[in-house]
Amino acid sequence: MPRKPNSSRQTRALLATLLDRSQTWRHGYDLSKETGLKSGTLYPVLMRLSEQGLLESRWQDPERPGLPPRHVYRLTSTGLAFAREQARSEAVAVVGDPAGAVA
Amino acid sequence: MNAVPGRWRRLARKVAGHASWVLPGARSGWADAMRRELDYIEDDRAALRWAIGCAMASYMARLAALPRLHWRVSSMPVVAGSLLLFIALAMQGHASGEASLAAFEETTCDLPDVTPDIRPRLRCGTVRVPRDHARPDSGSFALAVVLVKSAQQPSLPDPVVYVSGGPGNPLTVYAAYQARNSYAPRRDLILVDQRGTGRSEPSLCPDLDRTLLEANLAVAAEETADAMVKRRAAYITCRDQAIRRGIDLADFGTSVTVEDFEWVRKALGIERWNAYGESYGTAVAMTLVALHPDSVRSAVLDSIYPPAPLPLWSTVVSEARDAFFTHCARDEACSALFPDLAGTYRETLNRLDRAPLIVDVPPQLHQPDDQVRITAPLFEVLVSRLFYFPTTYPRLPRIIQSVHDGDARGLGTLVASEMAAAMAENRATHAAVECRDRPDFRYPLPAGANVLDRTQLYGVCERWSDLGPAPLLPIGASVPTLVLAGQFDPVARPSVSRHVAELIGRNARWVEFPFVGHNVRHFSPCGARIAADFIDNPGQAPDLSCVDRNPPIRFVSKAQLP
Repeated sequence: MPRKPNSSRQTRALLATLLDRSQTWRHGYDLSKETGLKSGTLYPVLMRLSEQGLLESRWQDPERPGLPPRHVYRLTSTGLAFAREQARSEAVAVVGDPAGAVA
Repeated sequence: MNAVPGRWRRLARKVAGHASWVLPGARSGWADAMRRELDYIEDDRAALRWAIGCAMASYMARLAALPRLHWRVSSMPVVAGSLLLFIALAMQGHASGEASLAAFEETTCDLPDVTPDIRPRLRCGTVRVPRDHARPDSGSFALAVVLVKSAQQPSLPDPVVYVSGGPGNPLTVYAAYQARNSYAPRRDLILVDQRGTGRSEPSLCPDLDRTLLEANLAVAAEETADAMVKRRAAYITCRDQAIRRGIDLADFGTSVTVEDFEWVRKALGIERWNAYGESYGTAVAMTLVALHPDSVRSAVLDSIYPPAPLPLWSTVVSEARDAFFTHCARDEACSALFPDLAGTYRETLNRLDRAPLIVDVPPQLHQPDDQVRITAPLFEVLVSRLFYFPTTYPRLPRIIQSVHDGDARGLGTLVASEMAAAMAENRATHAAVECRDRPDFRYPLPAGANVLDRTQLYGVCERWSDLGPAPLLPIGASVPTLVLAGQFDPVARPSVSRHVAELIGRNARWVEFPFVGHNVRHFSPCGARIAADFIDNPGQAPDLSCVDRNPPIRFVSKAQLP
């Protein structure tokens, strides 16, 4: 049976981290440290979420002279809704279905 | 971050750079995103782990882009081992054999005028090339290289390499301008500071430019004998300095530059590129086609630099000027306003011979009393420069008339900008290349020479270096070639470039653009479009219909001058 999209442990971890400070633009390396995902795992997920319209990105000016600009990320409104739904279903999975209260 | 990077850091950059080449076009922005994080990771080993992960991600994305292959993140561990092996082999491939010696060392982009929209499109770095390509153990020079990614992604595989003029002109410093003016849609652009120019090594006599400028101004002010001696002495002092610093002046010339470009091509992992040569850059592009036809997909020769035998520059300028005066005589508005422009010009020179005019120049130019004397020779030099810029054509007759009438105020700005431009070119590198390339400059000034020729390298080169291999014409080349010529070009007349196109043969197309001078693409949107179409599809005859739709010159009268 095909797996539900964006339900892998890595994706869920990333969505949870992005949801945590949803209005803040986040750097790749910081996300890697926070989620524990290596760059080889993190970036394919970021690319996929971006292509699905769940993630927005932009270039941010260098933090100090001599450093390059950085790519930063945050959830789009769709991504935010999706991540909230994901978080809620995880909570439901842990505490059990409260009789349709999630509907 | 300015310290010399350690082994792990260098390896990390190499691996991340490799990842950038692996990721397919539409996702190349992600490769940049991953690579740039490296500079924010302080620990070198952590940076290397990060870079290896980036390479993994890039290979995964590449594989996922293949038809009928749908790799998931969870598949990664399964292929990780084989991918790592593949990366290791690829890196190893870059480290052995001739091609592998060429490597692109990425640095941060410290360039002027780079706006936030352009910054992510630039990759800057250096490629080390052998000082002497025949002796790889002769030491190396670092060449500055900028890769400008196409604004439209995915980009097509064969990029454009723009070969700038001079010789001696810097290029990478203008990367932002180049990025805003695409040569061909969906193609990346490669910019290289040729050895001895811009940010590339070696730095040859940076003080020579100012000394020569003063001497050339003196030549134009007719203090000729003394000024000519001073010019030659300045060149020879520079030559002696360079030799004392261990620089072999035989390590210059178009044939050397061409091998440098080949080295850069290999370092960037480019199989074939489209060579766009402008002015002197056409000599490099033609030699590149002649020596390395398999690595050139197409060539555009914009405003040919005349091949040997070199015509006297004053003769070429005189022909361009005559063509312009003839055009004025045939143009209803111009002939009504200036019935005998050629006669007025001759008379202006006579008047300036008898009584030079004085113009004010900015204090930054350090001229006595912040003034310059407009003599007849200096006026000839200035008018010759105006033919480079079609934007000045509408005002040119009026400028001549004003100076004729004793008013040279309008020339102050021109003198200032010309002096500033002269300071931007590396004259020592110019001599280093020309003296290897051009037998003509080994002889004294030819008969009939005037001020324009006196500021060339006649009488300098025989003392500068031995003559090197000549630049080549790709006669009978199979590489599709487009030759662009400007009607009033003061460097090579359209008849010369047409002859070059005929020599190249049936794969060359020649197009002349009315009301344009040197550097067609820069001044003609029609020329830029034709060049772009040609690079897009070199096998097909480009649509030339816009050439005849070029708007005529709208000559201005004195009343319209500011």
